[in-house]
Amino acid sequence: MGGGGDMKWQKDAADQNFDYMFKLLIIGNSSVGKTSFLFRYADDSFTSAFVSTVGIDFKVKTVFRHDKRVKLQIWDTAGQERYRTITTAYYRGAMGFILMYDITNEESFNSVQDWVTQIKTYSWDNAQVILVGNKCDMEEERVVSAERGRQLAEQLGVEFYETSAKENINVKTVFERLVDIICDKMSESLDSEPAMLAGGGRGQRLTEQPQGNSNPNCNC
Amino acid sequence: MNEEIDEYDIYHQDFTTASEWEVLIARLEEILFEWNLSKSKLTKTCTEYTKKWIAKTEEVKFRGLSFTLTYNALEPVKNTDSEREPEEKSFLNDVQQNLWDSTTNFMDNIDGSPFPVSNWFGLKRYLMLYPKAPLIDGSLIKLIMSSVNIAFSIVDCGVPFFVKIREHWQHTYLGIFEDNDYKVSFDVIHLKRISNQCSHLSGLVSMFKSKISSPVPLDAVVISTKFSYELKDSDSFTWRKRTHSNEFLSIDGFDVKKLIELPFGSENNPLHSALLNAIWPHFRESAIVDSSTFSDIDPIMAPTWTISLKLRNNINCMLSEVIRKIMNLLDRDSLLMDVLGLSRSLGLVNPLNKITEAPITISKLVKAAVGRSTHFSEFKGPISDDLLMPLLYYVFPDAVEDNTFPYPDTLEIGNKKDGNEFKLCSYVKTSPEDGLVWRLSVTLARLMDAGGLPYLAHFWYEFTQELQYRWEHRILVPGVVEGAPNARSCLLHQKLQLLNCCIKRAQEGSGASGYSSEEEFFDCSEDEEAEDQLPWDRPVGRLHRLDDITLKNGAPLYVPRTQDPAPKTEDQLEEDAELMVRLGDDAKASELRARMMSASLLSDMEAFKAANPGAELCDFVHWYSPRDWKPDDGGSLGDRMLLPGNPWVEAWNVARPVPAARQRRLFDESREAEQVLHFLRSRSTGGVAELLLPAILKAGAIKAISEGAQATSSSIGGVDKRRTFEIAAREILEAEREACRSMCVRKVLGESAEGKPLDVAGRTRVLNAMGGALPAPVLREFTLRVKDEVGPQVMRATLSNEMTIVGAFTERIVCL
Repeated sequence: MGGGGDMKWQKDAADQNFDYMFKLLIIGNSSVGKTSFLFRYADDSFTSAFVSTVGIDFKVKTVFRHDKRVKLQIWDTAGQERYRTITTAYYRGAMGFILMYDITNEESFNSVQDWVTQIKTYSWDNAQVILVGNKCDMEEERVVSAERGRQLAEQLGVEFYETSAKENINVKTVFERLVDIICDKMSESLDSEPAMLAGGGRGQRLTEQPQGNSNPNCNC
Repeated sequence: MNEEIDEYDIYHQDFTTASEWEVLIARLEEILFEWNLSKSKLTKTCTEYTKKWIAKTEEVKFRGLSFTLTYNALEPVKNTDSEREPEEKSFLNDVQQNLWDSTTNFMDNIDGSPFPVSNWFGLKRYLMLYPKAPLIDGSLIKLIMSSVNIAFSIVDCGVPFFVKIREHWQHTYLGIFEDNDYKVSFDVIHLKRISNQCSHLSGLVSMFKSKISSPVPLDAVVISTKFSYELKDSDSFTWRKRTHSNEFLSIDGFDVKKLIELPFGSENNPLHSALLNAIWPHFRESAIVDSSTFSDIDPIMAPTWTISLKLRNNINCMLSEVIRKIMNLLDRDSLLMDVLGLSRSLGLVNPLNKITEAPITISKLVKAAVGRSTHFSEFKGPISDDLLMPLLYYVFPDAVEDNTFPYPDTLEIGNKKDGNEFKLCSYVKTSPEDGLVWRLSVTLARLMDAGGLPYLAHFWYEFTQELQYRWEHRILVPGVVEGAPNARSCLLHQKLQLLNCCIKRAQEGSGASGYSSEEEFFDCSEDEEAEDQLPWDRPVGRLHRLDDITLKNGAPLYVPRTQDPAPKTEDQLEEDAELMVRLGDDAKASELRARMMSASLLSDMEAFKAANPGAELCDFVHWYSPRDWKPDDGGSLGDRMLLPGNPWVEAWNVARPVPAARQRRLFDESREAEQVLHFLRSRSTGGVAELLLPAILKAGAIKAISEGAQATSSSIGGVDKRRTFEIAAREILEAEREACRSMCVRKVLGESAEGKPLDVAGRTRVLNAMGGALPAPVLREFTLRVKDEVGPQVMRATLSNEMTIVGAFTERIVCL
């Protein structure tokens, strides 16, 4: 991408003031509220209708966690069936997934298992997942009980939250929890492989991104 | 604390005329008090200890000499149930009991304490006064010993107290322990030669007895003996020595099996030497005769044999050596084809050359090929044709009729299996086992090992030539998993998958017009209504009806035949993602991204319009994004689709009815294929190494496991490729070394454990390896012990080319 790219790139380079970078993905059926959820978190705003996402888009938010600056690159995906191939290509390298359904839409809940299969097929083995039932402000139109959500999450071995992007319920919590789970997993894998630390020689945790590394998640 | 010392200094400097040795005694007393070592304050020894020694240290000065006084004690295990009952047993009993118990050990045991005295005398704690300069003068030693004696008595110390004497190379210590009635003296002799009297057991026994000088007859002295033999000729233990495996290069004996079997293990024997200990744990003085003139001692008769092994530290491991040679290439950033001087003729030198332009040399070379064997080329590389051809047929087995090495029927990109072999280096991206990438990588690794970089470059060149030929002749590349590039597999495999996608597409589309007319024919016959419609509005490119859904105008809704999104390899996806990230995350960038991504949306809309003449956007949405469709009014758009500046609306407005078959290709197979071929040809040496290493490391890991290496399971994430390779290579090296060592240990020890008694088979094996007879012992050790009415008396001697004799003798100090 030529025109205008250079300026943006500089801005982005200045942005690279962080200790870790996590790539997160929000996935789930069409119109369960993924984009609204992301805008609520990143911009603290809510618009009842966003243009249906074309393909894939992202937002960046930097948070502090355990005295570390964690840059979150959050990818928002189109939920339509036709976009599956395009979006699953971005699964690789994602450290965390927010798998979202709409509590007022049975079909979106029934698709959760499919989405989990997609994650298993296309992502890293140790990518972390949180199940989210969105639009919990619309109690009158609810068709999926919180209990069913919880049971499914338990069955899948993931954490579960009901959220509302509109009323700003649990939005921040979900992201923070996901970041924590990823951090825990990271230190776990470091503990289990002391040889890596010994041979690291760089005095930093291996999962830590050196600043300005353009390809931080490459694991072959 | 500091204040106390100050007071002490003032006291001595200002008000006394104490002599130097009185000052020494006072200083020792002070330290022993400070460390709470008097019997009244000291805790009893406890039953359990960790293996860790803890130490306290103080500096002591005497007549301008400096000493270090240390208190060394084994750390007690903290969680023992309770403090041991204050038994009647005295500190002396403790010391004597431990001394007696320790006589079952030998003097060369290592207990981790800073001085050997603890092992020699079975001490759990002791004091050591260590002079900075050697303490040689006899009268000085006496003076210091008596100072120690006095301080010990005044404090009523509960811990044996040692002084290091003589030259530093000599392990010579004098030690004391006493209580009200008894005194234990610890003596050591260490000499660079062996005195005649001490060179045999009977001499040592009489020396022991004279030392005890018991007024009443003693019980029989009990003796333990250990004779040690160094077995230096380690090769006499059948060491599996492999002929060096590069013989596959010889033309006569070319054998692909030899090629594919990666070498494994150490080139030389990992065993440096073995020490055989013949041990008689327990016998009475009269049972075995060993005097200056005659000896009964025959190691073959010893009740126990143990072996300790000395292994070489740096074992050269063959598999790791092969891997290392490829790893070493990673830093080379010149083109691999430079090695052959081909970069210019392949059009790789000038980066401005359009990559889609097929270099002339190549087509010429391929045209020069004869018949089906495409491998005869004008270029003569270092590998002779006699060797080259079988290697190429191994990698491209479908190129000959009677392929001896067909690829497995099912190729799997498996990493998730729980099998042991997948645990070692499980984090390295894989390619199907025994698939093309696997064979190619192993072959190249072997060629690199045997013939160096020119061999590797030559074969890589032939490999890319063959791919070029296959692309041009629409022949699929074998040994590659079908379908779009799989991000779980390594990049080289993905590139070949992509190339196969291109070849397949080219095979299908060789008559593009024929394909589309077939479509039209299909549509006409299926669709009865087509007759009624005007020719320019004829529906085309229908796939099937969508249930019984109708358009807003009442006509049935048809799902159109669509273009699949372009298959991409991971590096292309990363490039795409990076491009999108670079745009930033504001609204404008977001819009730009939507536009970038709407190519396939537009294509789908055009296909939809072609298949459903007269359709509206809400009809398209009904199929494409049903939740944005509302049933009101025969069908209308949901709120999201009504927003102004909506890319969906914009795309719909510009979309013309064009069936997928006549659209501009989203996936340009010619361009993609040429890109793959250029990518492979134009790699730097390091770049090729990077492509090959995943499969080489995987093959290495599987080889190591099959040779009995232990799998370590580790998971790593967020590490770059280079680090991943390094970690994996190190894991393999460690596994290989460990496998060599344990294999070697098994060769010598069989089923027995190191340092534990050898079984009968082991004794026979070792004796045979030594040719039925043992060499002269390098070390003899005797432990002599007896209990008289005052307590245990112990003397130990080790005789090699030097002599160490240590003794602990108890005497009564109170006159009856």
